[in-house]
Parts: sequence; C-alpha cells; structure tokens
Amino acid sequence: MLHDLLFRLRTLTRRRAAENELDDELRFHLEQQVDKYVQSGMTEAEAMRRARLEFGGLDQVKDECREARGISFVESMVQDLHYSVRTLLHSPAFTACAVLTLALGIGANTAIFSVVNRVLLNPLPYPNPQELLAARQNDSPPNLRDMQRQTHAFASSGGVNISPMDFTGNGEPVRVHGAYIDAGLLATLGVQPMLGRWISADEDVKGGPRNVVLSYPFWRDFMGADPHVLGRAIRLSDKTYTVIGVMPRNFTLPRELADVFISLWVGYPEAAPDRGVHFMHTYWRLKPGVPLTQAQAEIAQADHRLAEAFPDTERERATVLMPLHELLVGDVRPALLILVGAVGLVLLIACANFAMLLMARAVTRQRELMIRASLGARNGRLIRQRLTESTLLALVGGAAGLLAAKVGTTLLLALRPAELRRLDAIPMDARVFLFVFAISLLTGLLFGLLPAWSASRGDIAEALRENERTTATGVSRSPLRSFLVTAELALALILLAGAGLLIKGFLRLRSVDPGFNPANVITMYLQLPGTRYPQIPLQTNFRRELLARINSFPGVEAAMITDLPLAGNYVGHRVVIDGQPTRAVGSEPEVQTLSVMGNYFGVMQIPIRAGRDFHSMDREQQPLVAIVNETFVRQLLPGQNPIGLRIDWAGNEPHEWMTIIGVAGDVKDSGLNQPVDPGVYAPFSQNDEAWRKWMTLVIRTRLTVAGLVEDVKKQVWSLDSQIPVSGIQSMDDLLALSVAQQRFNMLLLGSFAALAVALAEWVPTVWLRIASISEPTKSESTSPWARSSAMSCGW
Amino acid sequence: MPSRSIDLPQGTLDLLILRTLSLEPLHGWAVSERIQQISSDVLRVQQGSLYPALHRLERRGWIKARWGTSENNRKAKFYEITRAGRRQLEIEQDAWQKLTAAVSQILETA
Repeated sequence: MLHDLLFRLRTLTRRRAAENELDDELRFHLEQQVDKYVQSGMTEAEAMRRARLEFGGLDQVKDECREARGISFVESMVQDLHYSVRTLLHSPAFTACAVLTLALGIGANTAIFSVVNRVLLNPLPYPNPQELLAARQNDSPPNLRDMQRQTHAFASSGGVNISPMDFTGNGEPVRVHGAYIDAGLLATLGVQPMLGRWISADEDVKGGPRNVVLSYPFWRDFMGADPHVLGRAIRLSDKTYTVIGVMPRNFTLPRELADVFISLWVGYPEAAPDRGVHFMHTYWRLKPGVPLTQAQAEIAQADHRLAEAFPDTERERATVLMPLHELLVGDVRPALLILVGAVGLVLLIACANFAMLLMARAVTRQRELMIRASLGARNGRLIRQRLTESTLLALVGGAAGLLAAKVGTTLLLALRPAELRRLDAIPMDARVFLFVFAISLLTGLLFGLLPAWSASRGDIAEALRENERTTATGVSRSPLRSFLVTAELALALILLAGAGLLIKGFLRLRSVDPGFNPANVITMYLQLPGTRYPQIPLQTNFRRELLARINSFPGVEAAMITDLPLAGNYVGHRVVIDGQPTRAVGSEPEVQTLSVMGNYFGVMQIPIRAGRDFHSMDREQQPLVAIVNETFVRQLLPGQNPIGLRIDWAGNEPHEWMTIIGVAGDVKDSGLNQPVDPGVYAPFSQNDEAWRKWMTLVIRTRLTVAGLVEDVKKQVWSLDSQIPVSGIQSMDDLLALSVAQQRFNMLLLGSFAALAVALAEWVPTVWLRIASISEPTKSESTSPWARSSAMSCGW
Repeated sequence: MPSRSIDLPQGTLDLLILRTLSLEPLHGWAVSERIQQISSDVLRVQQGSLYPALHRLERRGWIKARWGTSENNRKAKFYEITRAGRRQLEIEQDAWQKLTAAVSQILETA
C-alpha cells in the first residue's frame, strides 16, 4: 500500500520524465519489432507499417499505461486543462459568450445568496446562540422578576425597553436611544463589555446608583473614543450618570437600537413597578441540554400563577417562547426564499444557454474530435476532455460572477428595505466562495455533460455525414436544443409574470391617495424633557411660542401633531360615545388618538368633510372639542350625524366629554397598503396627559430645506437649548420609505426578469451567429491546428 | 501463422509476465518475444496490453524497472521480478494449476 502511494507520488512529481520514458520505451519496442521484420526480409516501409498495425492505437496504449501507473487521472486532467485553455483562447467569441452568460447567472445568484447567508444562515452574534429564546409577548419588570424566580430551565434571562433620551452638555443636544435594561440581559446575551463592567444585579434596584454603559458608536462619536472614559459623568434626560462600561464594537441588541444602557429600576423608577404595563422585550437563555418544550412548560406554569395572583392585569397571560433566530428572521424568510427561487430560474436559463453554446461548439469542432478519435482517443476520454473544458469555462464564469455579485450586493444595500435596515454590510465570507465554487462546478459538469454526451453518441461516420450539411441546421433540429429553448422561454415567462404582478401592485400602491398632500412638507420631531416641563401649561406655552415663531417666517406655515401618518406608531385609547349603550370594561372600541396644534389640516391639506376645523378659541379653559376621521364615523357611528355628539376615553370617571365638531378626511396612518383605523384629533392645549411630551412639526414651505431646518433649530434652542431636534425629513421621503419594501421586491424581481429575457433571447441569437457565420472559417482554421495538436500528443 | 495462435485468456498475462521475468530481467519487447517463443508461437501477446500490464505490475511492486542497454546496444527499459513478485508468482501459479486441473478433469470425465 505504501509502495503504491510512493510510486504514484514519484511518477506524479517527475511527470515529464515519466512521460519521456514511456515514449522511449514504446519507441524502443516498435524499433525492435521493425528490425525483426526487416531481418525476416521485409522492406523497411512494410516492416514499419506492419509493426504499427500490430501495435494498435498509440494514444490509447499510452493512456492505458498512464492509467496503470495510477496517475493518469490527475495527469490527464492537467493535460486536458492545458488543451482546454488553448482551445478556448483560440475561440474568444465563444469563450466570452459563455463566460458572460454564466457570470450573469452566477453573479445574480451569488448576490442573493450573500444576503441569505448573512440574514438567514449566519448565526446570531452571541455565544451558543441555539440556547437563546425570546418571548413573543412583551412583559413588565415585576413579571419578569417573578418568572425568573419561578423557573429553572434557564441559565439567565433579561429584558429591555428602548425609550428616547436627551443627551446634553456636549454641543447640540442629541436624542439617543436609551436602553432600559434588566441586569440579567447581558449575561443572557453572553457578551462582555470592552471597557469596564456591566450593571450588576444589586445596582439594578430602585434607588440604585445612576450608572450607564455606553455602546461603541456612542463612545466613539460623543466620548471621542476616550480610553479613560470610565468614571466620567454624562447628562441624559436631565440626570447625571456615571460611565461604568463600554460595549464592544460588534455588539448590538437582538432587535433594538441602543446607544446607552441604564437599569430600568434606576432610570425609569415610575414605570418599573407597574405590573400591568408590558413594555419590555424579554430574552431567555436555556440551560445547556434543556429542551424548549420543558422551558415552555415552566413558563406556562409561571403564567398561570401570575394570572391567579394578579387577575386584574395578568388574566390573559400566554407567554410564548421561540428561538431568537426564528423571531428575527421569520418575517424576512419567505421574501428571501422567493428571491432565491426567482434567481435560481435565472441561473437555469443561463445554464441552458451554456449548454446550447457548448452544443454549437461541438458541431464546429466535430472534425477535430474525429481526428482525435481516429488517433485512438477513447470516447470516455473525449467526453472527459470536453467536461474539463466546460468546467473550466464555468469556473471562470463563476469568478466573473463573483465580481458581478460584488456590484450586485452594493446595489442591494443601497436599495434595502426597512426590514433589512440593520444589514449594514453584506460580506463575502468563505461560505459565499464555497457556494460560487460549488454552483460553478455543478454547472460545468452537469450542463457540460449533456451536450458532450449527445455529441459523442453518434458514431464517427454519422458525424462525418452530418458535417457535410450546414452546421446550424444540423443542430437546430436536435431535440435537446428544442427542449432547452422551450424551457428557457417558459422560465423567463414565469419570471416576467411574477415581475409584472409586482410592478402592477407597486403602481397601484403608489397611486393610493395617502389622504394628505406630501409635497413641500418637512417634518421634525421634538420631545420636551419631563423634568423641566412636568405640567401641561408649561408644555402648551412652549408649543404655542415655537409655532408662533416659525409661522412668522415668510412663506412658511407650520403646525404640530403627536405622530405622523404612515408610521403606524400612534397611541391608542378605548373610547366611549355619549348616549350609546355601555359596553363591558375592556371591550370598548379602540381608536388612534392624535393631538394637534395650529392649522394641522390646512398644512397637510387634509379635507374637512363635515363640520368645522379647530380654531384659536379651541384651547384651555374652553369647551373640549374633537375632530374624528371618516373611518371613525363609518365604523362607530354608522348612519348618524356625528357633529355635536360627545365622546370620552373609557375609564375616565367622571366623564369629561369632548364634542365632535368636525370630520376630517381619512389619512393612511399605518402605511399605504394598510386599512385606516378610526381616529380622534384633539387640541394639544386641551390635553390632560402630561406624559405626551412629544410632538412632530409639519412645515409647508417653498424655502430650501437646509436653510429652514437650521432656522427652526435656532428657534427651538432659543426657547430651550437642551432639546434635541430629530426626525428631519420631507413628507415625500416618508411616503417613499413607506413603500420601500414593495419597491425593493419589484426592482429585484424586475431585474431578474429582464436578465432572464435577455439571456433567453440574446444568447440563442448570438449562438446562431457563432454557429452559422464563424463555422466555415472556423473549421478551416481549426482542422490543421487540431490535427497538429493531436499529432503532438502522439508522434 | 495467425490461425495457429490464440489470444491470451483474461488475467493470465500477469502470470506469464511474472513467470518470464522470474528467469532473468528483460525489456518489454523481449517479454512478448519470449512468451511467443516458449509457447511455440501459440500464444500471442497483444502488444497494446503488454505495456499497461508491465506498468501495473511495477506499480504493485511485483516487478521493478531500470534503464539498461539492449543486446543491440540501445537504451532499453528492463524489468526484473522483486521478492514480492516471486511470492505473487507462486500464488498465481498455484491458482492456475488448480484451475486447469479442475477444468481438464471436467473435460475428461464429463
């Protein structure tokens, strides 16, 4: 066995010498034989003829000798490769065509695979990610603590709530994402801080020290990447916190964007003890080896106990745990898989083209193949030689496809929809390279085998006769080619139909009336710090003063609303209508509640369908008024005249009735393809909920955006220098963003369909040209060369 | 002459090569000549299969090759049997004898 291996290795390393020796040995044999015949009285020429005849096909004997030495496979592969490179360079048009076809097909697939690889296949950036679970439902801090105590299946668990915080004392005030966390969160995710330490369990209590852990971007952007940042004090929402840690660069929470991490019990003590407010995402890490079913059973028991102990708020508990990875990618998976399918069709078309190109080439090279066959090359060997060629082509095509994919992923990133927003890069890792290699190899072998086999089947005489006719007609009659053409067109049609549907859907979506006029409207988001604006009159004064100042700009009209349309993140309240039969507590209809100030309906150009708009006298100390939307009337007051009816929030005792003074046109609140929810607008100044500290400015203007934004910021900061201004965007952008997902799908599938049609249409045409035009000259130039190359393999 | 000669049965070529080389080292042409001579021209080695067989035997380590000078003073590749080759020869001879004995027994009695 060892001998065998060494023998193979030796022959392999001294391949040229071995090849020469083989030549010498066989030549010696023939010469001996010729000598023998000459001595027996033949002429030299006859002796030579006789000897060769007896010996048989020299190529074949040599092949068998190489095979017998056990190195023939590698060796002949090298030979085939060499031969393939020469023949391919000899016909650059064909080579370019084939490589380009495959580069497009493989490139598109690689780009999509890179995304799938990153989004679906890559493990979560936490150690032992398979142990990580997330609850589908939000929960409250007290419930989380109780459940942690009552379960044993988990190594640790934790929760987080993201709320905006104002970071001040460092130039412009900035709104940052504050992560109110439970101390167990980090142990659950299993990531260590880069600097300092995490918040400990004893600090995570009411009245604990005001400590903060920074995210890497926050530390880099606002702390100047200071390595001695630990112990520094920073101002967050009017409170001073001490920096105790910095997280590593690649750390992110599973679903949430966070700049600073603060104990929920320390940073948000008024909300933390409230069992009924479920506002935390909770994450759970299983003990090693504990199955999900056991964990789920324990959670169900804990739910049951909590429901019995706190029936008022927890009666309907039904916590469902699911693998974190599943929770994160579950929504994107179907869309991505459809893309994978679509782009797979493109590859199939490219492969069919590739096969047709190879078939066309087989015809133009028949004479060369015949010469090789007659020199003793066996059929299997010829097939293998052609497979080497097609595989080589496919691999070159794959390499070119990698380049195409690089461009493709850059485009994908630029177009990515909100669901993939956190995808900041689509790296090409080893798995992507492996994918390209595998798919190229498979393409080369599979689709090379088809034409190689179909060409080798006919015997030489048949091929000769076939060659007499014109080549193009010869092959166009082949059933294989007809099948390929039909299949290509069918696949392209599938893609076209899919893309057509998406384009139609997108156009329909774009033509949906959002209910307002987005042109020339700029929006900005502000939030008043609770510490300095605890009461509603203070808030109202700030708002009224700011609006007055902005409205004094020439050519500008501004108004305010709590939450913008299309975003879908309004506050919902249950509502009761005066005079309607009382409903059970908790079953009253829920509506979106929006506070406005200024000429909101005028600025947004939302029509008032009935009654009147708000005016300046609808303010504090005046009768409470409300405007409802059309959906409110349609769903809750069908067939009634709403004007003059009175409504109030459920649970408000005694009732403070608001009189409906008008009906506003419906506005798409949750997205263009979403139904409108019933809504109630009320004046900011009549608001009685001091926690509604935020507002969005809507400004209709003809000024350049940049100048106006700076002017507005100046006015805000002249009123209060500590208030961050964020969310600066035009209503048009917001509208475009709301259809980004559909646009992305449409563009992607559309370009696949275009690619498919191009491939299905273009390549067959080019193929015909190659086959018909270049054939006569090609066969002339090929044959002598092929003969000489075939000769050089033999004598 | 062609009518007198028969082609070698499958699998016997290796045995004949080993047997021929067990007497003295020979080059490939001489091996084929020798087999033909000794069998009084009855057995003809297909020259196309002689060389692959030689290379196969060399790979298995039963024969080894070295370059030498032929009787007419030309460079030739000589094969000689190795120790492993002799053992193999015994095994194959044994098997061959058993086979032929069995075959002739059947031919005679049946």
